[in-house]
Amino acid sequence: MSNRSNNRRSKWSLDSTKTVSRITDNLPAPPAYNLSNIPSSSEVTKKADISRLITKKSWDIALTPIKQIPMNVFIMYMAGNSISIFPIMMVGMLLLRPFQAIWATKSTFKVIETNAIGQMIIYVLGNFVNIGLALYKCYSMGLLPTHSSDWLAFVEPPIRQEYLGGGHILN
Amino acid sequence: MDGILFHVSSKLLILLLSISYFTQEISCLYEDQAGKVDWKISFIGKVKYADFGNNKLLVATEENVIAALNTKTGDLLWRQVMENEAEQQIQFFNVNKDVTTVSGDQTVVSYWSINNKELIHVIPIEGSHIEITSFYLETGEIKGIPKKINTPWLKDAFKCASSKQYFACVQKNGEIEQIRYINLIAENSEVLSKPIEFSETGEAEILSFEHEIPSVLLVKNNVAKIVHFKNDVEILAKTFLPNVVNVKNDVGNQLYQLEINVNNPEKLLKVKGQDKDGNNQVSVDVEYPKGLGAPYILAGQCRTNNCDLLLSSIDHALLFVRIPEGKILWTREEALSDIVAVEFFELPVSELDASIENEFKTSSQDILSMFINRILTQSKQLTKVFIGSQLMMNSMLVRDDFGLHKIIVVVTRIGKIFAIDTLSGQTVWSYRLPHVVPFDNRNGGDVMLFVQRTARYSPFPAQCTLLAKDDTTGNTVMFQFDPITGLSSRGVVKLDRKVKQAMLLPYEDKNHLKPFITIYEDHSVKVHPEESTVIVKKHVSSIYLYMVDEDAINGYSLQLIDDRLQTFRHWNFLFRGSKLAGISTRPSGERVHSQGRVLPDRSVYYKYVNPNMIAVATISEDPVNKQVLSIYLIDGITGMVIYALAHKRARGPVNLVHSENWLVYTFFNERYRRRELAALELYEGHVQSNSTFFSSYAMSQLPQVQAQSYILPAVPLKVTVTLTERGITNKCLLVALNTGAVVEIPWALIQPRFADIPCGPEESCYPYMPEIPLHPEATINYNQTLSKVKGISVAPARLESTSHILVHGLDMFYTRVAPSKTFDVLKEDFDYKLIILVLIGLIAASYVSKTLASRKAIKQAWK
Repeated sequence: MSNRSNNRRSKWSLDSTKTVSRITDNLPAPPAYNLSNIPSSSEVTKKADISRLITKKSWDIALTPIKQIPMNVFIMYMAGNSISIFPIMMVGMLLLRPFQAIWATKSTFKVIETNAIGQMIIYVLGNFVNIGLALYKCYSMGLLPTHSSDWLAFVEPPIRQEYLGGGHILN
Repeated sequence: MDGILFHVSSKLLILLLSISYFTQEISCLYEDQAGKVDWKISFIGKVKYADFGNNKLLVATEENVIAALNTKTGDLLWRQVMENEAEQQIQFFNVNKDVTTVSGDQTVVSYWSINNKELIHVIPIEGSHIEITSFYLETGEIKGIPKKINTPWLKDAFKCASSKQYFACVQKNGEIEQIRYINLIAENSEVLSKPIEFSETGEAEILSFEHEIPSVLLVKNNVAKIVHFKNDVEILAKTFLPNVVNVKNDVGNQLYQLEINVNNPEKLLKVKGQDKDGNNQVSVDVEYPKGLGAPYILAGQCRTNNCDLLLSSIDHALLFVRIPEGKILWTREEALSDIVAVEFFELPVSELDASIENEFKTSSQDILSMFINRILTQSKQLTKVFIGSQLMMNSMLVRDDFGLHKIIVVVTRIGKIFAIDTLSGQTVWSYRLPHVVPFDNRNGGDVMLFVQRTARYSPFPAQCTLLAKDDTTGNTVMFQFDPITGLSSRGVVKLDRKVKQAMLLPYEDKNHLKPFITIYEDHSVKVHPEESTVIVKKHVSSIYLYMVDEDAINGYSLQLIDDRLQTFRHWNFLFRGSKLAGISTRPSGERVHSQGRVLPDRSVYYKYVNPNMIAVATISEDPVNKQVLSIYLIDGITGMVIYALAHKRARGPVNLVHSENWLVYTFFNERYRRRELAALELYEGHVQSNSTFFSSYAMSQLPQVQAQSYILPAVPLKVTVTLTERGITNKCLLVALNTGAVVEIPWALIQPRFADIPCGPEESCYPYMPEIPLHPEATINYNQTLSKVKGISVAPARLESTSHILVHGLDMFYTRVAPSKTFDVLKEDFDYKLIILVLIGLIAASYVSKTLASRKAIKQAWK
């Protein structure tokens, strides 16, 4: 569309760029303007900034699970040990979220394009701490099959070694 | 995130809801459910006297029952059950305008209404010599002064009979037999006598005989003569059979007797009617059912041109014959009023299922035959789909999915076996074993009924063995039969000796047949079938027996001496003067699913489940406490007394029930004059000594016993416990009461509570109540009164929640109970239509919404 309009209007044209460049070539630089210095110094600071930001960001991500711990502890404390729908929902969330997070570790750290193995390990460990917390909550709620009574239904009846028969004497 | 949270929580909720909690509630019936699964058949027992009156057939029986039957169908119109048949047996029965009975040693004259079993009068009579007292039956007043008659000549009262006002006896005076008789209502009556002229040899007997003219029947060597008492005694010349009966018709008196029909094998019985001089008037051949025993005439009635005869067979069947047609109008099997053994049998699979099963079994065959087999079964399947065999399935005896359709095999005291269908209550087959009676034990008769093979192993038929006693020789008889069809390949096998005890072994031979052993007086052991001796020899060290005697229980082990099996006494338990009041072992085939009890702190208290334990109750006389009831728990292998306890001032009858790790018994507490029920429970402790094997020899410590007792506000006749396939379902006690009810008591209600553990709804535990509540809703037989209950039999169905129950006695009642409700089947009123409609609606809605959504997406793209 623009081409067509250009063609339509190309009865005459004015090339201003040449003149401008010509003007700038002759004009002296403004005061405190160093043409050679600027690109080199800004490039150095930009590079250092980005890598610092990336590490900062990656550590931020790596530490989020650990930062969540106090909050989770508080939620658990508030939920109580009674087995009803809300505590179960909360415990379920507490247990499931770290798993999901561990599963999605790679995608979480995709934002950071550099290799961040250490941060990843910390992140996973933090999530494991959260899982441990959730499991402890399950345990204190009595949801873990840790007692012998939980396995009672699977105990097979002992096999008889002797068989007894008889009754009243038949006469 | 919220969405995920909701999703997870909803899943958890579904999971939680699906974990159902088994409530302890007792199920009761709705009105429309009555008779849906249960049935009841009423009996009257062996008929002793019968008479016609008011278009009814009135009978008095040995079970001390007076009943009126419908003459057309044989149905019960009314039944009056009297107590204590041992002492108050009916001695005289007369139907006039109403019914008069005289019963008992302490004689009681009762006068009953013919129409509605109402008792009009009862007149007690005292005195042991001949005394004549006259009453007005309508009012019960005594007429005049009682008259005494001196009878020093009356020695043998069994040889006497009365007929109207005459009382006659047979007396032997040296060589001459004479009949002495007396007219009881004459003013100055005196004893007269007349010598008997009889050509036959043997002792003369006297039987009563119904006739217009007072008369008796003189029987000598199976030949009978009629004696008329008029002014003088007259012995008629014509001889009859002893079963002769006089029936009055329009013409006059007619004498009927039964004879065996030798000429016609189709119609075995001949009814002969004749007048008193022996002139044959009627002779009718009757098609007599082959399975019944020999008949005799009980009563007769004649109208203008037909006569009705009531016959009874020696195996207690009641037949109603119409003459001159010679047709049997109806038959009643009164043998079923006295059942001694009951067994439930699973039905075989249908022919098609069996062929499919066989296909997998015969894997060793070559490919071609297997292929042909497959084509054959599938073509059969196809034809079944097209033709439809649902109708056939219902009428045939084929196993159903839930094991609710079973066959009940019952053995009656008279020696007749019946197979009854659980769905309809109809007799599938019956088999009479002539001269076979139960062994006589203290508990009044017992037979051994072994299930050697069930119908599960399809090419082989089920096999069942009955051990009983021969009536004539006293030796043991063995009868092996297929419980489904009633076929017996060998018939009744008479053993040449008395079997002392028998035991079914748990081991199977290659044909899936469980052998059984019989033990004889000389300690020798025989294995049936004999080929299985190898199996028994292999397992000889694990087979033990116990035998209960008058004064001891003896434990035996099996030993192999010189390659011959012998029993060897291992232990004995002496009663030492006390009497055995009851003995109980665990129901055979009972499975204990849960090996322990969970305590509130979530630890396990392991049950002491000893399959070899025998519970024994004895009663001993005590000078201080009158009677002491002792309960012993004995290990049947080692003879060790695991636990013993005593109740002072307690007396029987004692009902013992032992199941799983507990024992329940009922007794009468004389101090408080009430029935009590006590429960004992045995625990091993917090650790299980050996979880893989149980051996009575490997006992390290005595079990811990919990006990609790309760007041039972009723009189229990029989107590038993429900049995389910895998033992997961809660247990229920079934208690038959003397009121005619059978009550279900949940075991959780009587399970002993731990003293140091709280008991409440949170622990799903009922707090202790001294008196067991017997709710009317807990009566499994709702309003159907069951008289004189003699036993309750229980068998598991294939549905874990359900057990089959057969209560037998004077009535036979079958029902199914589900102690934890039917948690494994959908309710009857489950709305299938609604659910199908909803599902179809949802599917349709999802498709509609799918198309709508796609249309909307396209529209959005165009914008």
